Amino acid sequence: MNRREVRGLALAAAALAVALVLPGALNTYYVRIITGTFLFGILASAWNLIGGYTGYPDFGGAAFIGVGAYTTGILMVRAHLPFPAALPAGCVLAAASAVAMGALLLRLRGHYFAIATLGFMLVLRQLTANLEITGGGSGMNLPAAGDFKEFYYWMLAGLVLAVLAGFALPRTRAGYALAAIRENQDAAQVLGIEPLPFKILAYAANAFLFAAAGGIYAYWLTFIDPPTVFNIDFTVQAVVMALFGGQGTVLGPVAGAVILKSLDVTLTNVSLFLHNVFFGALVCALVVFAPRGLAELFQARPGRGRAAALGASIREALQENRV
Amino acid sequence: MPLLAATGVSKFFGRLAAVNQVDVAIEPGEVVGLIGPNGAGKSTLVNVITGVEAPTAGRVEFAGADITGRRPAAIARLGIARTFQIAQPFRNMSVRQNVAVPVLFRAAPAAGVADALHRADEVLDVVGLGPKRDLPARALTTPDLRRLELAKAVALRPRLMLLDEVMAGLTPAETEADMALLRRINEQGITLLVIEHVLRVVMGLCRRVVVLHHGSKIAEGSPQQVTADPAVIAAYLGPRYAAHGGTGPR
Amino acid sequence: MTPSAQIALQNAVNGLLIGGTYATVGLGMSLVWGVLNVINIAHGAFVMLGAYTTYWLFTLYGIDPFATLPIAGAALFVLGYGLQRVVVNQVIRASFLITFLLTFGFDLLITNGALAVWTADVRAVTTAYSGRAIHLGPVIVPAVRLMTLGAALLVALLLHLLMSRTRLGTAIRATASDQDAARLMGIPIGHVYAITFGIALATAGIAGGLAGMSFPIYPAMGANFTFIGFVVCVLGGLGSVAGALVGGLLFGLLTTYAAGWLGPNYDYIVAFSALILVLLVRPAGLFGRAARFRG
Repeated sequence: MNRREVRGLALAAAALAVALVLPGALNTYYVRIITGTFLFGILASAWNLIGGYTGYPDFGGAAFIGVGAYTTGILMVRAHLPFPAALPAGCVLAAASAVAMGALLLRLRGHYFAIATLGFMLVLRQLTANLEITGGGSGMNLPAAGDFKEFYYWMLAGLVLAVLAGFALPRTRAGYALAAIRENQDAAQVLGIEPLPFKILAYAANAFLFAAAGGIYAYWLTFIDPPTVFNIDFTVQAVVMALFGGQGTVLGPVAGAVILKSLDVTLTNVSLFLHNVFFGALVCALVVFAPRGLAELFQARPGRGRAAALGASIREALQENRV
Repeated sequence: MPLLAATGVSKFFGRLAAVNQVDVAIEPGEVVGLIGPNGAGKSTLVNVITGVEAPTAGRVEFAGADITGRRPAAIARLGIARTFQIAQPFRNMSVRQNVAVPVLFRAAPAAGVADALHRADEVLDVVGLGPKRDLPARALTTPDLRRLELAKAVALRPRLMLLDEVMAGLTPAETEADMALLRRINEQGITLLVIEHVLRVVMGLCRRVVVLHHGSKIAEGSPQQVTADPAVIAAYLGPRYAAHGGTGPR
Repeated sequence: MTPSAQIALQNAVNGLLIGGTYATVGLGMSLVWGVLNVINIAHGAFVMLGAYTTYWLFTLYGIDPFATLPIAGAALFVLGYGLQRVVVNQVIRASFLITFLLTFGFDLLITNGALAVWTADVRAVTTAYSGRAIHLGPVIVPAVRLMTLGAALLVALLLHLLMSRTRLGTAIRATASDQDAARLMGIPIGHVYAITFGIALATAGIAGGLAGMSFPIYPAMGANFTFIGFVVCVLGGLGSVAGALVGGLLFGLLTTYAAGWLGPNYDYIVAFSALILVLLVRPAGLFGRAARFRG
């Protein structure tokens, strides 16, 4: 490992140590916010596996959030399983469904893959609303848990898992296959890589993690219904966070989650009513001015301070791509 | 038994015959040239052989086994490597990582990523890209990108290499160096099919040459025979030159 | 005529009638996708704006809904032109993910803005002739839906004439075909793009007005129409008005029959299955060329 990696590892370890003791030190309001941030950290890191690293932008990830949420709920309520047993079951089911859907969808590229995955999520949402076992459109209740801290630690565990996956994958043989597929799928094929199985692997890993987040979220909310969990907002935010935190890095998506969640909370405090509107404007602004990630906005260039660099980035964005 | 036997291969795009009833046989250890004017169907033939395109008709056999229409990855693992006319590097991966990919996915793969990177280094040293191993592929010059293509093909440990215009746009010195490299590769036991426009390379490297024109094979033989063949001259330069025995109008 | 044949025929008529609206939704999306290579996720949100325009003009000023369509179209044309020139143009050469996200941002803005301003209350456009129907033999044809189909066909015809008979249309088609060559020919690309986007949003607005006469109006209605637009584009193929028309009518038939057999709560499932089938079997759609793949 090189020095940058060692620094990153040290930073992550320190952050983890802090995270472990935070609930004792902060009041519940902040613990909740941080738990929500962990949720999106999981989603952003997981999306990065299939969307950033493999280059297949999945816009239907919320499908797996729903699978995780409802499987956890159904197993807890109807099969009386404890949460630690129900949650992994949801993850496995989501991964299995990803394998099945992926075998079809991962043959598509670009736009088509994105919309097809979105369609998949809409289908699952409608299916869930039509079934009895899920409580249909009225939703279902989950058993209440004890202390809120439980959710914090579960989410943290999920986040650690997601970050580890993001760290490990590029260093494995499968990771090399995925990078090659992302860079040039045709060239990858003539070098011995059969693309579909590897793409399915990334997609399933993404699904597993999304389902974990979903299951924990369901237990936290204690009430879920189709529009709540099969909600495209989860995916859009995850994508934005991954993109602007820096797709090429392990902790980038997490950083994106932290920054955007903080902005979101601030906006909510400004106006609960309008915070979604502001968020939409924020997404537009970010896309136009910082398409390569927030880090780029602030990267100092030779002979310029960071503030000047920010101004230059904005000016550049305005001049670039003038048709 | 020929290492590669393409029999009656045709590839139609709509009504256009890109390749029309072509027979090519390559013996183990040979260096065969494949020439013809632009649009003759050379790259398409290579695409059919490597499984990138399925032929409309015909059969391709490799070491006795039928590989017609099989998937490119499978054919690559059977031992056929190819380079692309326009280099296709993995732009955002390092040179080393680029070469590590085929090392990891060939029929006899390396034991792990670390091992693969070591073996990639060995191949890079052979083609002369050693010093640039940690550069991202997008930072390479065109000749180096060609060499990278070559390195990746070699790293696949193929029995047959299909080289698509690897010498285009090189200086005479670079051409000599690459020809020597290809000779070394051939001496290691790898059979070569070389698509080339640079006549010097064809004459110097290939013991046998196949000529395509408008998708059909119009000549086959030694480089000397083929370059004196009126049909070949007509294909490249037009009928007037062929009529004068290849030495130009008087 | 047997009862089941009668039902089948009625379904066919219903499907075609609603298909007209679907086709109009798809037209705009196909235009933007085919010419600018941008998939406008917010397309449905603009449809929603058109619906509300019709609603407010009708409710506040008593203007007949069909008469509001040109107004909705004009207003959304202006909005579209401005949006493209000022915002979309910044990212038009960027990766597909970026343009996707930008239009997502638009959708968030517009949908939540509408929610804030107009509340989530469901509205409807009910005119004096809303309940009237024509009886063609055993089949009932609601007057509003028939006029909606007529309007949709008219819009399609106008757009076709624009694209094939005018200089502007030629410029648009040239730009779609080869942007750099078009520029070299002296075509002002920025202007062409903006006009195209404006036209697309105008058709979205008109589609919204049409939809508003048959469907409930509420801020979140857009998402449905975006998906419908996309399916229509895929079914009919990009780059042709005929494609969007056929795609829309086909999709109308498909969803109506599916609702008949399976009940109204399975329309996404049917739509999605159709979508996947077409994508895997004939990605170019029925009429058009497949969108250029970027990935």
